[in-house]
Amino acid sequence: MNTRQVAKGDRAFFAVSTAAAMFTMFLVLAVLVFLSIKSWSTFSQQGLAFVTGSTWDNTTEQGTFQIWPMLVGTIVVSILGLIIAVPASIAVAFFIEFMAPPKVARIATSLVDLLAALPSVVVGIWGIFVLSPVAATWSQSLSGTLSFIPFFRNEFSNAEGAPFIAAWTIAVMIIPIITSVSREVMGRVDKDLISAATALGSTSFSNMRRIVVPTAKSGILGGILLGLGRALGETVAIFFVLNLVFEVNLFRPLEPKGGNVASLIIAKFGEATPEELNALMAAGVVLFVMTLIVNMIATSIVQRSERRMAS
Amino acid sequence: MSQYSVESLERPLDVTPWKKRSPNFRYIIIATALIPILVSFAASTVLEISGAGILLIVFLPLQLSAAAIAAVVTRGRRGVADSQLNVLVYFATFFVVIMLGSIIFSIISWGLKAVSPHFIYQNNVYITPTTSLEYGGAGHALIGSLLVVGLATLIAVPLGLAVAVYLTETRGRFKGPVRFLAQSMSGLPSIVAGLFVYALFIATGTVNLAGWLGSLALALLMLPTVVRMSEEVLKLVPGDLRSAALALGAPQRRTFFQVIMPTAKAGLITAILLGVARVVGETAPLLLTTRLMSETSVNPFYGDLATLPTFIFSNLTAGFDTGRARAWAAAFLLLAVVGLIFGATRALTSQKVK
Amino acid sequence: MNLQTQNSNIAVMDADSHLEARNIHVWFKERHVLSDVSLHFPTNSVTALIGPSGCGKSTFIRTLNRMHELIPGAGLAGSIYLDNEDIYAPGVDPVSIRLRVGMVFQKPNPFPTMTIKGNVLAGLRLNNRRIRDEDSLVESCLNRASIWNEVKDRLDAPAGSLSGGQQQRLCIARSLAMSPEVLLMDEPCSALDPGSTRRIEETIRELSADMTIVIVTHNMQQAQRVSDQTAFFLAEEGQPGHVVEFGPTDNLFSSPNDPRTEDYVNGRFG
Repeated sequence: MNTRQVAKGDRAFFAVSTAAAMFTMFLVLAVLVFLSIKSWSTFSQQGLAFVTGSTWDNTTEQGTFQIWPMLVGTIVVSILGLIIAVPASIAVAFFIEFMAPPKVARIATSLVDLLAALPSVVVGIWGIFVLSPVAATWSQSLSGTLSFIPFFRNEFSNAEGAPFIAAWTIAVMIIPIITSVSREVMGRVDKDLISAATALGSTSFSNMRRIVVPTAKSGILGGILLGLGRALGETVAIFFVLNLVFEVNLFRPLEPKGGNVASLIIAKFGEATPEELNALMAAGVVLFVMTLIVNMIATSIVQRSERRMAS
Repeated sequence: MSQYSVESLERPLDVTPWKKRSPNFRYIIIATALIPILVSFAASTVLEISGAGILLIVFLPLQLSAAAIAAVVTRGRRGVADSQLNVLVYFATFFVVIMLGSIIFSIISWGLKAVSPHFIYQNNVYITPTTSLEYGGAGHALIGSLLVVGLATLIAVPLGLAVAVYLTETRGRFKGPVRFLAQSMSGLPSIVAGLFVYALFIATGTVNLAGWLGSLALALLMLPTVVRMSEEVLKLVPGDLRSAALALGAPQRRTFFQVIMPTAKAGLITAILLGVARVVGETAPLLLTTRLMSETSVNPFYGDLATLPTFIFSNLTAGFDTGRARAWAAAFLLLAVVGLIFGATRALTSQKVK
Repeated sequence: MNLQTQNSNIAVMDADSHLEARNIHVWFKERHVLSDVSLHFPTNSVTALIGPSGCGKSTFIRTLNRMHELIPGAGLAGSIYLDNEDIYAPGVDPVSIRLRVGMVFQKPNPFPTMTIKGNVLAGLRLNNRRIRDEDSLVESCLNRASIWNEVKDRLDAPAGSLSGGQQQRLCIARSLAMSPEVLLMDEPCSALDPGSTRRIEETIRELSADMTIVIVTHNMQQAQRVSDQTAFFLAEEGQPGHVVEFGPTDNLFSSPNDPRTEDYVNGRFG
C-alpha cells in the first residue's frame, strides 16, 4: 500500500467518525428544533397560556390546550419521588461502599443494576396491581391520623391515583441511578485519607460525616439531578398509577388527582385531533426543554467532580 | 537450609478476636435485636396501622433507641452515632431489597400462571379478550420486539461506535461539546424521542406507522449509552498497543480495526448489550410509532407490528382479567429477555477477567 | 492461643515494657503471613523493624493499633499488651486504642481540603473534642514536629501547598495532637528527599523522650541512627514472615547472632 492510499484510507476513517460525531450533535438540536417548528402553531395560538392555563378542550375549532396542571404535577411527583429515593439511595450506596463485606457488596451492586434495567412498563404493571393498593393503605393511614395538617388531607373516598402513589413508583425507578452515581463517587474518595482518619481514632460515622460526604457531595448532587431528569420524563409507569385531572394539585398529594406531562401525551395521543396533536407536540417540547436543562446541569456537575477527583 | 524453615500453619477457626463479645454484652446484643421485633409484632396485632406503618413508626424508633443503648453500654458515647448510622443504612437497604424483591416476585408468580410453552410462540389472531388462556400468546409480540430492537441496534451501534472513535482516536476540536451533548442526550425522555420520529415522518404524511420508525426512536435512545460505554472501553485499551502498531507502520484505521477493536471486543459487546437492554422495554416511543396487531408480522418496514411493550400496554388498558393475565405473562417474558441480556454481559465480563 | 516456638535469638521479655507483643500470628484469608512474633517495646524507646520488603513488618505494626482488623480476611492469634492490658480483649473499643497508639503512614496523607491548622486539629475534630486553647496546641505540635518555623505565617494555607517532607512532618504533628503514648511509623521517610529524612530522624529522637516509637524502615543506616533496639524480620519464599533476631541496635548491627542478620545488615541481600 503506498502512502497516498494509506493517507486516503485514514482520511476516510477520520471523516466518517467526525461525520458521525457531528451528526449526533446535530441530532440533539434537530429534535428540539423540529418539534418546536411542528408545534409552532400551538404556541402562537395559545400563547403563554399554554403553560399557565388549566383547560384542555378539543371540541372547538381551534381548541384550547393548556398544560399548567400537568407541569405542576410532573414537578410535584418528581420532587416527592426524590424525597423518598435520595435518602434510600445514599444509604444503599454507603452500605455497598463502606459497610458490606465484599461478597455482599457485589450482590447488592448486581441487584441495583437489575433494578435499573427494569423496563418502565414492568414497573408500571407492578405499580398498578401491587404497589398501588399497598401505598393506598399507607395513604389512608396518613390521612386518617394526620388530617390536621392540610398537606395530609384527603377528602375523597379512595387514595389510588394520587401523586403520593406515583411518587413511590418513580422512587423505585430512580433509586438505581442515584445509587450507582453515589457509589462511584464515594468509592473515589482517597482511601489513604480514611486510613489517616481511622488511625486518629475516628469512628465510621465521623469518617462519613467529615471525610466522605464533603468529598462526595457534588458528585452525589449530580446523581440526584440525573435522577430528577429521569423522573421528569417518566411516562408509562406513571400513566398507570396516576389519575390525570386538569386541576392543579400542589398541596394535597394524597388526593387522587394529579398531572404529568408525559402521561398526558400518551393518554391523549390515540384519539387526538390535528390541533390537539400539535398541542401534544408542544407539550413534548416543554418536557424536553425541562429535562435537557436538568440533565445538562447534572452532567456538568458530575463531569466536574470527576475531573476534580482525578487531580 | 531446613534449620531456618518456618512452618506455615493452617488458619485456625477463631482468629478474629475483635469479633468476640464478652458474655454480658452478648445478652445486650440479643435484647437489642429481639425487643424491637417483639414489640412491633405486638403493636401490629393491637393497633390498626398497616405493616409498613408499624415498621416506620414503631420498629424503627425502637431499633434506633435499642441500638443506641447497646452502643453506649459496649463502647461508650462515641459509639452512638455509629449505631444510628448502622440501623438507618440497614433499614434503607432492606427497604430497597424488598421493593426489588416484590417486583421480581410478582412478575414471576403472576406471569408464570399465564405463561405456558405455547404463549411464547403463538399469536393472538383468533383471540378475543375473553378467550381462555389456553389459546393465544405473545409470540408475535416477541418476534416484533426482536425485529424492532434488532433494527435499532443496527442503526445505533455503527453510529455510536463511530462517535466513540471520534472521541478517542481522532484529534477533533469538538470533543468536549460532543461528549457533553451525548451525555445530556441520555436524559432524552423516551416519549419525546417517539414524538420526534412521529413528527418527522408520520405527521408529514410521508409514511404510516411501522416498525422501523419505532427502531429509529429506539436507536435515538440507545445512542448515548453506546457512545459513552464504547468510549470508556476504547480508552481502556493501553496506549502502548496503539504506539506499537503505529511504530510498525500501520495506518490508523488498520490499527483500529485489527488491534484496538479485538482488544476491546468484549467491552464493546457489553456496551451494546446494555444499550439493547435499556430499550427492549421502552413503551412510549412504540406507542407513538407502531400499531399493534394480533397477527405475526416479520416485516418491520411496512404495516402493523406487535411488540412486547405495546402488547402489555394494550392488554392492561383493555381491562379484562384474561388480558391482565396475558399482560403479566408478557411482562415475565420481557423480564426474561432483559435477564438473559444481563446474564450475557456478566458472562462476557467474567470471561474477560479470566 | 498459644503457638509458641523456641527462638534463642529473641531478647528476654522485659517486665516494664510499655507495649508488648506475644506470639503474634497473622493470616490473610488462608495464607499464614506472620509467624510467632514476640517483641517488647520499653517505654520511651525507639525500636526499628528492618527486613526485606514483603516480610510482614507493616502488617505487624498494624496489629499494634488495631488497624489490622479492618482488612477483609484478616486473622490474628496471640496477644498485644499496652500497659499490661490486652488490647484485643473482648469489649475493648479499637477507637480507644487508636487514640493512644498513633500512626504515621508511608505516603504523607494530610487532608488536602483542610488548612495546616485544620490538619493538626483534625484528630480532635474527628472525635468531637473541644479544647480551650487550640492555637497553643497547634504551635506546640508543629514545633515538636520541627515544622513550626516554616508554616507559622501560613497556618490557614491548604495542606496541599506543602512539599512532601513538610506534609509528612504535618502528619506527625497531626498525630502528636492526640498525645499518643506510642507512635507507629511505617517507613515515614521512604517517599522523601534526604534533607527531609534527616529532619524527621532528628524529630524522632526528640519525640522519644515523651513516647514509645516503633518505626518500620528499609534504610539500615536510619535504623542505626534513630533506634535503641532493632528487630530483623525475614520471610523465605512460601513461608510466613518471622523475627530472626531482636536486640539492642548496636549489638545487632556490629555483632549479630544469626548469619542471616549478618548477611542482611552487610547488604548481601534485600
